[in-house]
Amino acid sequence: MKKLIGHGLWAGVALVAAFCLAGLALNRGEHVNSMWIVLAAICTYLVGFRFYGKFIAARVMHLDNERATPAERLRDGHDFEPTNKWIVFGHHFAAIAGPGPLVGPVLAAQFGYLPGTLWIIVGCVIGGAVQDFVILFSSIRRDGKSLGQMAREEIGKLGGFTALLTVFLIMIVLLAAVALVVVNALKGSPWGTFTIAATMPIAVFMGLYLRYWRPGKVLECSVIGFVLVVFSIVGGEWVAQSAVLAPWFTFSGLTLAFAIVVYGFLASALPVWLLLAPRDYLSTFVKLGVVIMLACGILLVRPPMNLPAFTRFTDGNGPIFAGNIFPFCFITIACGAISGFHSLISSGTTPKLIAREWHAWPVGYGSMLMEGFVAIMAMVAACALEPGVYFAVNSPAGVVGATAEQAVATVSSWGFPVTAAQMQALAEQVGETSLFFRTGGAPSLALGMAHIFAQTGGGTALIGFWYHFAIMFEALFILTIIDAGTRVGRFMLQDLLGHIYAPFGRGGWKGGRVLVSALVVACWGYFLYQGVIDTLGGINSLWPLFGIANQLLAAIALCVATTILIKMHRARYMWITCVPLLWLLAVTFTAGLQKIFSPAPRVGFLAQAARLEASLASGIADPARTAEVKAMIFNARLDAFMCAIFLVLVSLVVLDSARLWIGIFRGTREARVLESPFVQSQLRTEDL
Amino acid sequence: MSALRGFAGLVLRILRELSDENAYERHLRAHGVKHSGEEWRRFCAHRFEAKYRRPKCC
Repeated sequence: MKKLIGHGLWAGVALVAAFCLAGLALNRGEHVNSMWIVLAAICTYLVGFRFYGKFIAARVMHLDNERATPAERLRDGHDFEPTNKWIVFGHHFAAIAGPGPLVGPVLAAQFGYLPGTLWIIVGCVIGGAVQDFVILFSSIRRDGKSLGQMAREEIGKLGGFTALLTVFLIMIVLLAAVALVVVNALKGSPWGTFTIAATMPIAVFMGLYLRYWRPGKVLECSVIGFVLVVFSIVGGEWVAQSAVLAPWFTFSGLTLAFAIVVYGFLASALPVWLLLAPRDYLSTFVKLGVVIMLACGILLVRPPMNLPAFTRFTDGNGPIFAGNIFPFCFITIACGAISGFHSLISSGTTPKLIAREWHAWPVGYGSMLMEGFVAIMAMVAACALEPGVYFAVNSPAGVVGATAEQAVATVSSWGFPVTAAQMQALAEQVGETSLFFRTGGAPSLALGMAHIFAQTGGGTALIGFWYHFAIMFEALFILTIIDAGTRVGRFMLQDLLGHIYAPFGRGGWKGGRVLVSALVVACWGYFLYQGVIDTLGGINSLWPLFGIANQLLAAIALCVATTILIKMHRARYMWITCVPLLWLLAVTFTAGLQKIFSPAPRVGFLAQAARLEASLASGIADPARTAEVKAMIFNARLDAFMCAIFLVLVSLVVLDSARLWIGIFRGTREARVLESPFVQSQLRTEDL
Repeated sequence: MSALRGFAGLVLRILRELSDENAYERHLRAHGVKHSGEEWRRFCAHRFEAKYRRPKCC
């Protein structure tokens, strides 16, 4: 009887999912409520978790709770420690949740809410969650080895080296792309800039507090830090209204970019406990808190989706970024549906904390579904804005015109009416001088979130506070990614350069460390600079480049996962990883080739360089801007080169993997499973 | 009520894990030492060295 009720309940959940998805897919011309999307996502994720995730766990990977995990076998009180599954879940989710699932869906909303929403729902269940889960399982069975180590051991040396190089290059593009998001959110905004600047002395205060005054009291210190950050948001309004102080915190994009580059260098060179670690604690708690707040806000407010299901920009002429719905919607959503970076987390700390193999199911598969839900919330927040406002905020001046009047005229001509007075009123409401040309997604997401939060209490009087609270939340953890990423990039480059000149290695001289730090900062700083001077907003070139790189890393992870399944003699289930792998290869190679070779200058880097060159040769370009145009030509070619490098690197891994798979099927290559041997678990449930 | 208390306890444990306070307690147990400023700094040196060698997710 109990079983029958269970079946009935799951059938009900599946029916609600199908009903909501059908409702979304078939609805045209009317505003739908966001609850349709939220329910469709929750119910699909529940069904995917219960049936598909469990099928992979039981039938494909044969998870075994009797088998001791590395956390139990190698327990050392530091890295390896059997931990309660919900604690590991929280830890893993906090580690995988970054700005990608927030920014990507906001940008992809230019196609309308439907394409992105469907991909976030479906892509998570059959792609992202599968990748995270299988890599986590593989790492657990291999003593917590990293993706690079597994790629080297399972596929070959080429796979391992390529994975390392790809991660480094992706990191450079990622840091530049997310830094650009912060720059575009803060330029010309004394309120936002003051708030973010204040988080630095607050982090230093926290660092000193933890190290000398109250060692070990991280939660207590984080509460104090959070209260100080809230005060800084309130203080930011006062600064913005002060005729004396406001100019001190009003910067252009280039100045902010330079400041972030200097910050990245200092943060990676300063002792970790002083700035990086306290900021990381604070940003983790703020991030989780805001995600929960946003979920509660959406459930309480239930905003309507003001953007249509599809916009006219499915044709590839979108103002935010150019390119057709296939492949660019999928590239742009990136981490919201599947993220290569998650494979690094799934083969990092998490496998060393998993107490029982079956815990990998909620932790690996479930956390990614949760991340998908964060992406859905970002989509709802963006689409709840008036479409005219959404496009006026996100479109660059190079597309819609340099003045407010030109911009509203262009956006209105697309069928999304908006007026300059409406934009000015909105800017004043949130304490900004202007909201035009705020490319990058963060300001429009903050606007959407502020409207949702304001409707739950406080009304329009608090919109300014909530807008800057959301900007602070986005900038805070993006800056944490920048300083931590620069540091990790330094380690990677030190490892690589150490092979060429030994003193550059980890144990090398201090000057070498400073030089390598400066080199890493210069690499991403240059991409940031090119994004800032780009008349198309920078996001048009940097975000797709980041999306392609990230999805290609996922392709490498899925190659490793497929190889492991084949070696485990589960080839009949290899479609589980091969389907998302083939999809990713189709999407990324189409996008990559289009970004390099498309004849449309807003899509193809080479075409863009050729157009700029022609404008220089024919004298159309303003002579005063010759140097800038030449830099843009170089940048477009550099982007094309980076894109080509990514495609070549991943092609090498895929071909190397395919050669191995064919060899195993033909019997010419050995299918040796490199798992650690079975050891009976002695762990008792009460130990957790 | 007990379910609510249990949930609150779980949330607190997650927060303590995220803040490394649980890891520090494990460190004290594993090494059989008592809490002190010096011990916390020793723990941090090891913890942060490992933690910030890994890339942060996007």
